[in-house]
Amino acid sequence: MRILVIEDDTNLNRQVKEALTEGGYAVDVAFDGEEGHFLGDTEPYDAVVLDIGLPQMDGLSVLEEWRRAGKSMPVLLLTARDRWSDKVQGIDAGADDYLAKPFHMEELLARLRALVRRAAGHASNEITAGPVRLDVKAGKVTVDGQAIKLTSHELRLLSYLMHHKGKVVSRTELTEHLYDQDFDRDSNTIEVFVGRLRKKLPETVIHTVRGLGYQILED
Amino acid sequence: MRKGSIAFSLFWLSAAWLILALVGTAFLLTDLYSRALDSNLISQLRFNVDTIVSATLDSRDPNFADIAVPDSRFNRAATGWYWVIRDDAGDILSTSGSAVGMLMPEIEAPFDVENYRSAILADEAGNRLRAIERATTVNQRPLHIMVTGNLDDILRSAGDFRGQTLIVLGAVGVALAIMSAIVARLALRPIGRLGTAIEKVREGEAETITGSYPREIAPLAEEVNELLRSNTQIIERARNAVGNLAHGLKTPLAVMRNEASAAKDNPLAKVVTSESNKMTQLVTTYLDRARIAARTSVVGKKADATTTMLRLVRVMEKLNKNVTIAFKRPDASLPWFRGDEGDLEEMAGNLLDNACKWSGGVVAVTMFAERTPSQQFLLIRIEDDGPGLTEEEAQKVLRRGVRLDEKTPGSGLGLDIVKELVDVYGGSLQLRRSVLGGVLAELKLPAAKVGGLVRS
Repeated sequence: MRILVIEDDTNLNRQVKEALTEGGYAVDVAFDGEEGHFLGDTEPYDAVVLDIGLPQMDGLSVLEEWRRAGKSMPVLLLTARDRWSDKVQGIDAGADDYLAKPFHMEELLARLRALVRRAAGHASNEITAGPVRLDVKAGKVTVDGQAIKLTSHELRLLSYLMHHKGKVVSRTELTEHLYDQDFDRDSNTIEVFVGRLRKKLPETVIHTVRGLGYQILED
Repeated sequence: MRKGSIAFSLFWLSAAWLILALVGTAFLLTDLYSRALDSNLISQLRFNVDTIVSATLDSRDPNFADIAVPDSRFNRAATGWYWVIRDDAGDILSTSGSAVGMLMPEIEAPFDVENYRSAILADEAGNRLRAIERATTVNQRPLHIMVTGNLDDILRSAGDFRGQTLIVLGAVGVALAIMSAIVARLALRPIGRLGTAIEKVREGEAETITGSYPREIAPLAEEVNELLRSNTQIIERARNAVGNLAHGLKTPLAVMRNEASAAKDNPLAKVVTSESNKMTQLVTTYLDRARIAARTSVVGKKADATTTMLRLVRVMEKLNKNVTIAFKRPDASLPWFRGDEGDLEEMAGNLLDNACKWSGGVVAVTMFAERTPSQQFLLIRIEDDGPGLTEEEAQKVLRRGVRLDEKTPGSGLGLDIVKELVDVYGGSLQLRRSVLGGVLAELKLPAAKVGGLVRS
């Protein structure tokens, strides 16, 4: 899952990025509205954390521009202005959730997880595919009730496929959603991770669709 | 017209002055009239004296009885109209027919340079007389010729005149009093209109005072409008300042808190965490308070509660996809909220947020009006099917500064701000058990006298 964080306060930006990275997300950051708008416009993100008060272009304008251009990724607004009129304005501009500063990092993570999950059409924090069960909140995977250990890259890959189960996911899409901008993108690494995952999971969970990509089948 | 009003004082001042002036005028006119009658009488009597003198001179005999004075009153008895010719010793030589057999009084005063003298006498019949006497000489014989006229006749007609004058002037006075009452009313009517306009602003039916006023009170209306404008500006500025302060403080606070909570075991981090939490609380409390202080003086505002609730419901449904909010849209006769739209959003929004947070999936919103003889209220009920509160918990929550869920981060009930706002507007907030099973929160707020009829 790849997240865009747009926040002008460098410290807060860094903290959010660290927390999200630790939570298993690939994170891109921007420090002003224009840069953030450009990134959101050109890169595929699974969710965006957007501050309202930004230099160059304010958060609400960024959001409105995206929605006008048909971008539908979930957006979590961050703001110090917590009046209801501000909330109403934010939601009407196209935000999916709203978090007032100062916030607890756990709450940001929880809300973001919920947004990503909802966008993929899952109602609960647990996604299952056959014997495999993914606890999105805890970042834990079990097979037939037995916990298995995954590296963070393997977890990201499995999480993305599970979130989009039933859908064929191309290698390019995986690269775009699993790694941040600065990552050296080599689609072979995807194959390596898929190979490692298959060894840890039952053979039939991840299917290869020749020439198109990978798929986890619906139950 | 009530006592203590300008119209009342104006009316009574002018009425008192009118009564004095009119009564004075009546007496002055009567006096002038009776003086004119008297001097007319005197000149008439002089003429008669002169006529008799010349008749006596012509006949050279004061006893010549056939002196013709062309006035029949001198021939009828006891009319008060007499003439008498006396000699130097005061013996009567001749009299008019009217004076025959009467004892004629004499004038005591001395003769003037023209040989006349005058006095007011009384005859035996009780008539008051104006008497003129002239001294003359006929055939070397000094004679005193006196003519009298009835003064009572004059006094009587002067009295009649006074009565009529009083009646006429009384009628004029009544007409003037009515006119002054009307004038006072008319002159004061713009002040009444201004009062109504100011009341409308207070009631939230108008933002400024409109309409044209006479030159004397137009500056007053202008000043009131200016006051309202500057008030609005001050509030606007205060709100902006509060917002900027919030933004300025909250981001660094968030940074400090996050940084410290990332290094949990560090003793410095513990201090920073607890202190920044306190600061966050203080900032929130005082920002809320500043916002409330900035809005207490907001006058002349009203908001359509229906559109506000529709908006809030739309937002909450988007934020809480697993909650269904049943909102029964009230009909257009529902009165508007008398106050700021943002404040209504703040109160209803926090209650709706709580309801969604605790609900098991169903939230209901109903609105209606409650009318007492003196005031009209707008009631907003928000209920949920959550776990609900016991009577005791509800009392506790309604006390200031108490949170039931202090352990859950970021989920304060937000009731403090609701309670403060409700107090500002003189409304009330009640928490009861809902038929849905959870909490029923009832907001009772003042309604604007007249709602807007147009609702988009």
